Amino acid sequence: MTRWGMVFDTDRCTGCGACSVACHAENNIQTVGEVEAAKGRAMHWLRIERHYEGVFPDVKVRFMPVLCQQCANAPCEPVCPVYATYRTPEGLNAMVYSRCIGTRYCANNCPYTVRFFNWFAPEFSAPLERQLNPDVSVRPAGVMEKCTFCVQRIQDAQDIAQDEERDVRDGEIRTACSQSCPAQAIVFGDLDNPDSRVAQLARTERATHLLEELSTEPSVTYLRGVR
Amino acid sequence: MTDGRLHAAFATSAEVRVALNRLGQDGVPPDAVEIRSSVPLEHDIVPVGGRIKSRLPWTSVVGGLVGGTAFFMLVKLTSEAYPLPTGGMPIVPMPTTGVITFEGLAIGAVIATVATMLYECGLPSLFKKAGPLDHHIASDHILVTVTCDEGASSAWTAKALETARD
Amino acid sequence: MAGPAAGAHEEVLIRPVSTFRPKLFVGSLVTGLIMAVLFYSWGYQIVNDIGVAGINRPVFWGFYIVNFVFWIGISHAGTLISAILRVTQAEWRRPVTRCAEAITTFALMIGGLFPLIHLGRPWVFWYMVPIPTDRGLWPNFRSPLMWDIMAITTYLLGSILYLLLPMIPDFAILRDRMMRESPKSLRTLFFRVAALGWRGTPQQWYSLEAAIRAMAVVIIPVAVSVHTIVSWDFAMAIQPMWHSAIFGPYFVVGAIYSGVAVLMVAMYLLRRGLGIQEFLNDKVFNNLGLMFLAFALLWGYFTFAEHLTVWYGNEHAEIAVFDFRVTGGFAWLFWTMIVVNVVIPLLILPFPKGRKPLGTAIVGLGVLVGMWIERFLIVVGTLRFPRLDFTAGAYTPSWVEIGILVGSIGMFGFLYFTFLQLAPIVSLWEVREGAHIANRAGPAKRHALEPASEEA
Repeated sequence: MTRWGMVFDTDRCTGCGACSVACHAENNIQTVGEVEAAKGRAMHWLRIERHYEGVFPDVKVRFMPVLCQQCANAPCEPVCPVYATYRTPEGLNAMVYSRCIGTRYCANNCPYTVRFFNWFAPEFSAPLERQLNPDVSVRPAGVMEKCTFCVQRIQDAQDIAQDEERDVRDGEIRTACSQSCPAQAIVFGDLDNPDSRVAQLARTERATHLLEELSTEPSVTYLRGVR
Repeated sequence: MTDGRLHAAFATSAEVRVALNRLGQDGVPPDAVEIRSSVPLEHDIVPVGGRIKSRLPWTSVVGGLVGGTAFFMLVKLTSEAYPLPTGGMPIVPMPTTGVITFEGLAIGAVIATVATMLYECGLPSLFKKAGPLDHHIASDHILVTVTCDEGASSAWTAKALETARD
Repeated sequence: MAGPAAGAHEEVLIRPVSTFRPKLFVGSLVTGLIMAVLFYSWGYQIVNDIGVAGINRPVFWGFYIVNFVFWIGISHAGTLISAILRVTQAEWRRPVTRCAEAITTFALMIGGLFPLIHLGRPWVFWYMVPIPTDRGLWPNFRSPLMWDIMAITTYLLGSILYLLLPMIPDFAILRDRMMRESPKSLRTLFFRVAALGWRGTPQQWYSLEAAIRAMAVVIIPVAVSVHTIVSWDFAMAIQPMWHSAIFGPYFVVGAIYSGVAVLMVAMYLLRRGLGIQEFLNDKVFNNLGLMFLAFALLWGYFTFAEHLTVWYGNEHAEIAVFDFRVTGGFAWLFWTMIVVNVVIPLLILPFPKGRKPLGTAIVGLGVLVGMWIERFLIVVGTLRFPRLDFTAGAYTPSWVEIGILVGSIGMFGFLYFTFLQLAPIVSLWEVREGAHIANRAGPAKRHALEPASEEA
């Protein structure tokens, strides 16, 4: 059975933010503007957290790219009153935009704060609307959204593989973030395939998870920095 | 012989008791006697031979059971009919279903109680004729009305405040 | 000539309903205008998207949820008085049951609006209703919000019926009286219809009293379950200082506490405004004041237990929320709450002079503010500090949210003022029944039982 997962090598991550920008471009995420961002309504499905250690001049910065962890035991799922979020058989935490009525309970119950709400309808002033990805919807106001592991690219690759009567090959699906990372710190693939790169990396001794004590069983693995 | 109504207003329930006894002695059937008051009276103030009963609170219990079962079925059967994927969590967990069943119990009991009460009281019944002495009920008196022949004996109205016929 | 209990005493109860009272009408008008602020703000929000409110990420829930819990909490006043005191056969409750139950019903109506107001897409709220469609989807009964819907619907229906049932005999009294005084007026027609043809026969009284007893017994667990379920909106989430097992009983106690507070303020205003000191007298205030004190102590106990466990456990995510609440940016709110909810009630209510109407009303006003602050601290205080420190945020309510809060208070006033002009605020037949019972018990017992006592 396929189980999609991701690995972030925090030792390789330079904090450049290319992944975040690529995510915006790929998924038609609205740019909320200065005023709204100051109110805390910016929508970065994938954010780079900066953690400073030490005092100047001996400061170290660690970068942590955080996105929806696609938890196997997701706390956001049982609390949605209309089943707008659920777990797919392939291990993704799916979000059904047209079902969402905007109670925002799922966002409150996410310990990683990776869910984002459309407070206003998105505005793509000309010529930005030409950059929109036709494979992805534009969400209306009042609807919750989050990282989907670029499900449109997964669908596309699976469609092609089905047409060609073969399985999806490891490395064939590149999420927008993994595609654009210059340090190749992001790896995406099938965790249930023991030979895939992501499964091998997830088994190394540097592998760790965020907020593991909450038993959310995230599908995202972080590789600790080399000390 | 036309049946009319003889109304008598009394100030205290003791006097009503006397009146009811006289009516019983006169052999007036309990269906022909109507006692009306603005407060609940002592339970022995009933026409001689009359009976008061209520199916409450048993209907509340039955209504509660029906409501609880209905809500339980709603949750269980519908969730199983639309089996949405939940990533391993049970689709009909007993604790959460229990919460909804409890509310169903309550709502069933409430509706059954009110429905039984309205049925037993014969409400709404907006077309019964008002009587000439009804305002005495509003001033905390007790009204006894007897449906009887014109000119029948009215010894029982001896201590009434006021009597009238219609 | 009137019976033992009726007479001049009751005129003051009947006059607001049988004649036009300009002060009450103006009251309805003014509060109606304030209520319009709620609907205007809400309409503005629907047209201009929910972003016009101040909520953001991570504070996804703000004023609307605070107000929701606040109003549902206030609704527990009536159940305590009319249900619990009926079941325990406390005679002094008779003048208070209706004004308390009215508070419950109107507070529930207002509280029930807020889940709609806070939705991102309120026009599809019906997705939460189990209607079969061809979408192949169904509401999620495992969500605490679905439990909310079931519980509040049940409680609202139960409360409305529990308010209306004992009103039928009173409407009959008014009908019989007004049929003689002014048989053709609109008011008389209203009372004729509202009385449903009630005759007041022994069979009807028996059924009615059995029904009221049954409803009282059913509505008490419903009330407890409603606020427990509302508290589970928070307790079921794994957020720091939300995921606490104590929330169920804590919120129920807090709800009854705020309910009694509103009741004290409302009763004081009714006394002054309608001149019904004889019915809402010092004895009633004294007894309710004692219950008020008991709940102050209970609330203080639960609050202390909750904060002690968090502080002692010293768990990182919870301490972030705790420190900000007790010693940080929200400390002024927290300590104000402690003063008005615990310190002031304990300084005033233990003394008989403090339990006079003015004393309890002042304490009640403070408790209302304090309980609103408590809900605010719980909702916003936790959401500002998620587990991953990087995403901590802040919250400023916008004019839309403030307008809706102000408008909701106006709506409560409007509903209450209108109710005062439609039905007697003290239950006529129950007070009469109490006087009859006192008379039958004999002169020695009359002093203890009679609610409308001459001693004041």
